[in-house]
Amino acid sequence: MFKNKNDRQYLFLVLPGFIIFTIGLILPLLLSFRYSVTDWDGIAAEKVFVGLKNYIDLFHDENFLNAWWFTIKFTLGNTIIQNVAALLFAVALDSGIRCQKIYRTALFVPCLISAVIVGFIWLRMFSNVLPAVNDWLGTNFNFMLFGSGKTVLWGLLIANNWQWIGYWMLIYLAGLQSVPSELYEAAKVDGANAIRRFFNVTIPMLAPSITICVVGITTGSLKVYDLLVTSTRGGPGRASTSVIYQTYTTAINGRQYGYGSAMTVTLVMALLLVALIQVKGLKSKEVQA
Amino acid sequence: MRMMKKNKEKEETVRQPYTKTTAVVQVVMTLVALLFLAPLVIIINYSFKTRQELYLSSPLALPQSFRLDNYIQAIKKLDMGTTYVNTFIYTAISVVILAMLCGVTAWAIARCRHKFFKFCYIYFIVGILIPYQALFLPIYTIGYKMHLTNTRYGIIFMYVATGLSFGVFLMNSFMATVPIELEEAARIDGCSIIKTYFTIVLPLLKPALATLIIMQSFQIWNDYLLASLYVSKKQLKTLTVAIQSLFSAQTSDYTTAMAAIVLSVLPIAVLFICLQKYFIKGMTVGAVKG
Repeated sequence: MFKNKNDRQYLFLVLPGFIIFTIGLILPLLLSFRYSVTDWDGIAAEKVFVGLKNYIDLFHDENFLNAWWFTIKFTLGNTIIQNVAALLFAVALDSGIRCQKIYRTALFVPCLISAVIVGFIWLRMFSNVLPAVNDWLGTNFNFMLFGSGKTVLWGLLIANNWQWIGYWMLIYLAGLQSVPSELYEAAKVDGANAIRRFFNVTIPMLAPSITICVVGITTGSLKVYDLLVTSTRGGPGRASTSVIYQTYTTAINGRQYGYGSAMTVTLVMALLLVALIQVKGLKSKEVQA
Repeated sequence: MRMMKKNKEKEETVRQPYTKTTAVVQVVMTLVALLFLAPLVIIINYSFKTRQELYLSSPLALPQSFRLDNYIQAIKKLDMGTTYVNTFIYTAISVVILAMLCGVTAWAIARCRHKFFKFCYIYFIVGILIPYQALFLPIYTIGYKMHLTNTRYGIIFMYVATGLSFGVFLMNSFMATVPIELEEAARIDGCSIIKTYFTIVLPLLKPALATLIIMQSFQIWNDYLLASLYVSKKQLKTLTVAIQSLFSAQTSDYTTAMAAIVLSVLPIAVLFICLQKYFIKGMTVGAVKG
């Protein structure tokens, strides 16, 4: 296969990384498929083959379906809010305001913090700090967003967006700064106003950044777990249990490894599908520059 | 190239007049920035308060004196001596190994025409599309079976394995900046492929490697799931794991927790402020064509 001496040298260079990656990530990926068709409990030496039983059970498992429903809502919310807000802030920072760098840093800093800590910060914000703001202003907003199943999603969206908007904003900002200014000049000469220039020049030219942000935010939201551990712990009730959280409780705490593996497989499939659709759909809209 | 871009930016800022709209945008963005910073200011404020102040005064009030009691408590409760050193060791070693592996892997993939390397590229990209968190269960099982759990080399191995995808992708996008003519000249002079990499390519990759190291350090320093799965022994715990147990143990008295937050975010914040340039370069790879 590798007859050429040069090819063999290249192979020698790639091999260490290739092997580590295979053992650390690809093997687990294959194992999850393998375990998902057994009833393994994580301890027993014997793994009984049960066919597709785990997958059929999943479709009747209300907790699992609820976890998916929460994850989908969380992902959609993040993708929309984060993209729009990040793009708006990037345009605002690029509009010639003074001290651009200070704003950039201020918005970016939250994403340097671990999600475990972000969860705790917002737990305290909602239950202690914001009610005090209420007292101070004499208003009566309901800030206890983590307290009820109806509002918990919004609370988590606020926390997650606070953390990540600055990150995606930076990517949009870099994209904006690479748009040649001649294009805007030409559009101006043609009589396009600011709004039309935004939709007909900026957005098409930003297509590569949009692809990166949409894919990044979606995969980032589908894997939500750390944020929940310190804030809502999946509650109240099961209102904020994500797929990974549910898998953790089922497999690690409930010792149902086979069943948990089936959950893992559904998430992997969803991630691959989402990436495929997004890359295909968004790439076709990109302008060839 | 970069010079040109800088000049262009300058021209634009000069050309754009400071209109009324700009002033309005400036005011709005100032408010937004303050809102984003508010939680951080509140945490720092909390971290100096005494337990009494916590219960009796408003969360927005300033502490009466800037005492460091909470910080001393946090250092003790988190077992900071151990957890700081552990997190630092895991991060530093993983990142150095990643820098060595990703550079060489990306270069070989970019240069070799053999079909296998095309396959390799797609193979590594799978790791970006499927983040390791989605695979935490089999990653835990495999670690358990291979006796990687509760060992330092085990968790470092996993950080390397899960960081490779992004690293290879990042380094691959930098390969265009390495002039192929230099490599060819070295080859004609009789350098082997491996020697060419280490003598010609590696020195040119230094800025790219700096970007990689910074991006990955911040990922690994902040990681929680992998550390919580792989490490249960007290003397091997990381900062995020220790901080999580501190949060759940002390729900009512959280001034210590706030001090712990400040202490754990500080190193990363300092790193970011000093090396912002590299950080931004690493993030925006692929977002800008060319």
